[in-house]
Amino acid sequence: MTIWDRLFNIDRRWIFLLMGVVTVVPFFFKMGLPVITTEEVEGIYNHVDSLDHDNAVMIGFDYQPGTMAENQPMSEAVMRHCFARKIPVFITAFWPLGNGLAEQAITTLTDPAKPGTFQRVRYNEWREYDYGDEELPDRVTHAELVELWERDHELREDAMGWVFEGVDYVLLGYAPLFHIVLLGMGRSITSQYPSDLYGNPTEDMPIVKRNKSAREVDMGLTVSGSSTVLSWLTYARESYGMPIAFGVTAVSATDYLVYIQSGQILGQMGGLRGAAEYEVMLERDDYAVEMGRAFMGMDVQSIVHVLIVILVVLGNIAYFAGGYHRKGRRLKAGR
Amino acid sequence: MYDQIGIWVAAFFTLAIYSFLYKENPVYRFAEHAVVGISLGYSMVYVYNTVLEPRLLEPLFVRGQIALLPVLLLGLLYITRFFRSVSWLSRYPIAVVFGMAMGLSFPRTMLSMVLRQAEATVIPIYQSGYAWHDVLGSLVIIIGTLTALIYFFFSKPHKGWFFGTGSRIGIWIIMIAFGATFGFTVMGRISLLIGRVQFLLTDWLHVIQ
Repeated sequence: MTIWDRLFNIDRRWIFLLMGVVTVVPFFFKMGLPVITTEEVEGIYNHVDSLDHDNAVMIGFDYQPGTMAENQPMSEAVMRHCFARKIPVFITAFWPLGNGLAEQAITTLTDPAKPGTFQRVRYNEWREYDYGDEELPDRVTHAELVELWERDHELREDAMGWVFEGVDYVLLGYAPLFHIVLLGMGRSITSQYPSDLYGNPTEDMPIVKRNKSAREVDMGLTVSGSSTVLSWLTYARESYGMPIAFGVTAVSATDYLVYIQSGQILGQMGGLRGAAEYEVMLERDDYAVEMGRAFMGMDVQSIVHVLIVILVVLGNIAYFAGGYHRKGRRLKAGR
Repeated sequence: MYDQIGIWVAAFFTLAIYSFLYKENPVYRFAEHAVVGISLGYSMVYVYNTVLEPRLLEPLFVRGQIALLPVLLLGLLYITRFFRSVSWLSRYPIAVVFGMAMGLSFPRTMLSMVLRQAEATVIPIYQSGYAWHDVLGSLVIIIGTLTALIYFFFSKPHKGWFFGTGSRIGIWIIMIAFGATFGFTVMGRISLLIGRVQFLLTDWLHVIQ
């Protein structure tokens, strides 16, 4: 048996082990390899950066826990950007499990144990609060509510600002046959979501009063691990012209690049790398005090890619040097 | 405390699934079945609580919105699948959903997936102010689209300068696209592994920040 034969008959579990070691070790030796931003992600970032409290964004948590590692950092990054710029956010879900992931993202962004997060005030908390002589305006804005709220409450020292449920965001959640829901929201959001995920009537919420239909929403970001992103393109963009952005897993990233070239979407975050690029821009513009999890994973990603390239090159050398390309000397399948 | 229990459960299931890399074993099987069962059970309860009850049962039976009665009856026809003699009735709700989805999606899908894409290939090769790479990009889009379409044209033999050369260029373009997709797929799979390793090292073991 030649060295090339041995190389081809190596137990695949050694490669798994090698991959595992190469994935774990770089976490202990942070190299901080640079992440260069691309036009696809900048397109989304710049659009969000051009919006403010008079606009609105809709984020679809259209994925399930299986692709959470790639998709969750994207959702969190864009939500952080919106919260920091006081852009109202409507949160929807294509699948029932998306609700839990959306709740988890909000919890992460408002975690008091972490620096640079936001301080959340739940809907009933600020709605039922006694403001004394002051009357709560019907379509209260973030700035007005902060002024009233801060008379009796103090913002946490390391917090980046207040986030009021029902004013700065609303968790609409899952609804079946979501493409029809997207169409319906073009007429009225309350017709599709009479209440939010927690049973609060949406018609009373300032965020809905100020943006009655999806036509008034200035960007729809669909974060997905499947082809559900196309529903947003087909139903929201083509029906009422909502600007759309994609956040997709790396596996499907190449499938949707054509929609950037055709000008149908603002941009696309592809895989963990896309989320890392967004995090880089957030940190650069002081919307975040530290890099997120996607950026942290990029060192590992780069090193593992180098390992895979080495293995592919080694495999090809062994293939040709071992004479496997000649007739009568074929590799056995399923090694 | 509940958070900690959740983290330990998640860590156990992560390791149980990865144990498959060594060899198939009962712990992996248990984790696999648990994931499928829990996801389904969770979704069913969630759909009942957030959709069926507030959007159908409560408006119909509590608020008396009888316009929803035909919807309920149509939905109930799905259950006839379990009774062989009347199972044909389950085709009606399926037909309604399919018909509605087709009617709603067809014009919009044609517009967004076909016409807008075709429109994006009708582009100028050169305009004043174009850099050389812009011209190259335009050429790749136009030639790539045409030759890939020629490759999938099977009514003529792939011979001669038009069909032969065109289909050969087309297959190269397709192979390059497959290569890019494979690269992204590798990246995606590694990202999933990174996500789990990050969880284990950060939330479970607390060995990194």
